[in-house]
Amino acid sequence: MNTNKAQEKQPMKEIITPSNKEVVVIAEQVNGEIQTVTVELLGAGRRLADKLGGKLSCFLIGSEFSNQPQELIARGADVVYVADNPALKDYRVLPYKKVIVDWINNFCPPPHIMLMGSTTTGRDLAPRIASYFQTGLTADCTELDIGPYEHTNKMDPDKIGLYPGCLYAIRPSFGESLKARILGPWKNPQMATARPGVMIPLDIDSSRKGEIINVPVNLTENELKVDILEIVREINETVKLADANVIVSGGFGLGNAEGFELMNELANCFEGSALGASRKVVDLGWISYQHQVGQTGKTVRPKIYIACGISGAIQHRVGMDKSSLIIAINKDPDAPIFKFAHHGIVGDVYHIVPEMIKQLKVHTKSTTNIKESSNTEKEYASV
Amino acid sequence: MSDIGNIFVLVKQVPDQSAKAGINPDGTIDRSKAKRMINPFDRFALQAALETKKKYGGRITVISMGPPAAEEILLESLEHGVDQCKLLSDRRLAASDTLATSYAIWKTVEYLKPFDLIFCGLQTTDGDTAQVGPSLAERLDIPQVTYCEDFRIENKKVIARRVIEGGYQWVSSSLPCLITVANSYHHLEYKNIRGAKLVQELLRNKDKKDELIKTINLDQVNADPILCGLKGSPTIVAKTDKVAEIGGSCFLQQGESVDSMVQEVVSKTNILEFTR
Ligand SMILES: Cc1cc2nc3c(=O)[nH]c(=O)nc-3n(C[C@H](O)[C@H](O)[C@H](O)COP(=O)(O)OP(=O)(O)OC[C@H]3O[C@@H](n4cnc5c(N)ncnc54)[C@H](O)[C@@H]3O)c2cc1C
Ligand SMILES: Nc1ncnc2c1ncn2[C@@H]1O[C@H](COP(=O)(O)O)[C@@H](O)[C@H]1O
Repeated sequence: MNTNKAQEKQPMKEIITPSNKEVVVIAEQVNGEIQTVTVELLGAGRRLADKLGGKLSCFLIGSEFSNQPQELIARGADVVYVADNPALKDYRVLPYKKVIVDWINNFCPPPHIMLMGSTTTGRDLAPRIASYFQTGLTADCTELDIGPYEHTNKMDPDKIGLYPGCLYAIRPSFGESLKARILGPWKNPQMATARPGVMIPLDIDSSRKGEIINVPVNLTENELKVDILEIVREINETVKLADANVIVSGGFGLGNAEGFELMNELANCFEGSALGASRKVVDLGWISYQHQVGQTGKTVRPKIYIACGISGAIQHRVGMDKSSLIIAINKDPDAPIFKFAHHGIVGDVYHIVPEMIKQLKVHTKSTTNIKESSNTEKEYASV
Repeated sequence: MSDIGNIFVLVKQVPDQSAKAGINPDGTIDRSKAKRMINPFDRFALQAALETKKKYGGRITVISMGPPAAEEILLESLEHGVDQCKLLSDRRLAASDTLATSYAIWKTVEYLKPFDLIFCGLQTTDGDTAQVGPSLAERLDIPQVTYCEDFRIENKKVIARRVIEGGYQWVSSSLPCLITVANSYHHLEYKNIRGAKLVQELLRNKDKKDELIKTINLDQVNADPILCGLKGSPTIVAKTDKVAEIGGSCFLQQGESVDSMVQEVVSKTNILEFTR
């Protein structure tokens, strides 16, 4: 048992060249379903591992797995470590942490890089693991890369040296339009959590080969101090924000909570749409936190993002500016959102949106007709 | 007689977001130029502590790590009704990352022990990592509930609701426990008259102020300076870049009739591909 880390550790040692170039992604699953963020991390992890010349592994924790390890291999993993135990079915921080640190303690030397999603799970678990290993952790990254680093700061002589193959953990920095590159090459694993919806996944390749290794699970009383009593997931959320094609998003410019009825009406014109919101209106209680887009909400990358009465503050922008098409409706021609939207309409949401709904509905009917006729054609063709 | 003994709340002073803070050459925030305030997320933690005390008893100690100026936010906490404050202030803490911060706060908590509950904000607006809370819980070897938006105490256990992707969960944890409070929790109540009067008095009576806002240093909490500040931080900001402005590419429709502006967007984009 290794729960006795609450003692002071030696200051970090120098590791100039990585001797274990393994990149580990900690998978997230809900009821056995691999989460999108994990697939995205495998995409990012694959590029890091290739650049380092190491292997990419994925750590899967839960219960009663079937083809999930294969799925992770098809998405880029060379090795999948599986910890399968009924006590691990639903995520809980203490048992999950114990399984991971026990396993990493088997590595000698430890893996070079360890990645998690910056979800409510990753942000719960990653800092405990980093604290256990006394290693660096960068939160909520939007880019990951590998590169050299030379430390010359005389204030901190122990760290001076040239380090090839460091993890570059890149994240937006507070309230400024700045990106910070954060490194911690002195201690492995170098850890980072990455924002969901940002990293690009690899296509599924079922011909990929990989190794599956079962990991022993040793839990003690200490890990069972927290029980899950109930889990509730919003069922009325027909399309998850992360997977929506079209997001209709409302901000303070709506003037009141009822404004979201109009947003809903616009969203209903689309197939696979979802409602988004700025933090300001979430804080005001106009709509629930689940809809918040931005730095402290969700990062989204839909085909179309329609921002209604949103000013486009940096904290909102970082959550949506990777959308393929951004349409902004705002009555202030100088609103910052027009600096990065693709199409902007200067006007009152209550004039523009009803007109937009009207014009879209005209076309909706005709497209439905086309779809129906093409279906009929197909039926004929298959006869 | 009361269910709860000591309640600790971690509160940090941060630059006011509305005032522009400068950036040092090493990429860290230049705190000297900015106006300062209580980290907005920590207001929820303060509220959680105050409600706990009201319902279950206990004594609230605010712990803050920062420069002497952080006294401002501790006075403000006293106005809201906390019992006492500890300010860990030491030059050797400069440039601490989250690991070094959680080390120094850990030593402070060990020094102030025992406790039943520690409340943290979800994250800070300057560090913005949400890591200090869980990192501290790990050092203390106690359970944690992060993203907590509601809770009650029952039979020496905390029953808490935490945010998860797409919903929430109810969990039950033994005490002592560390809780990070989500921003969907109740807003901080107004300052109370008793607190305001107390602070008025403290501003006149320095001895009493020094008693309620005790400034302590690394030696007093028995912390190893090697594990603090720049030396104790495994991460550094190696470089900062300006985020490129996309700008200029926006087709801006203004001053025309509503239907023609909408018509433009409908015809010039692929929006119709996604209609039902
Ligand atoms: C640490 C931190 C994290 C944050 N995280 C997030 C986050 O995750 N997500 C987020 O969104 N924000 C976040 N914020 C807040 C962010 O800084 C802004 O305050 C917020 O995004 C503003 O919301 P808004 O655009 O709805 O409101 P405002 O900035 O008030 O903008 C309202 C806009 O509506 C326009 N308008 C008004 N009336 C009308 C009308 N009738 N028709 C059309 N337009 C109209 C106005 O011109 C204005 O541009 C964060 C802030 C901090 C400090
Ligand atoms: N210097 C500090 N002093 C007191 N509390 C802190 C400090 N830094 C972080 N915290 C606490 O840890 C939480 C998370 O901070 P962070 O990891 O910086 O996002 C904050 O909301 C505070 O409750």
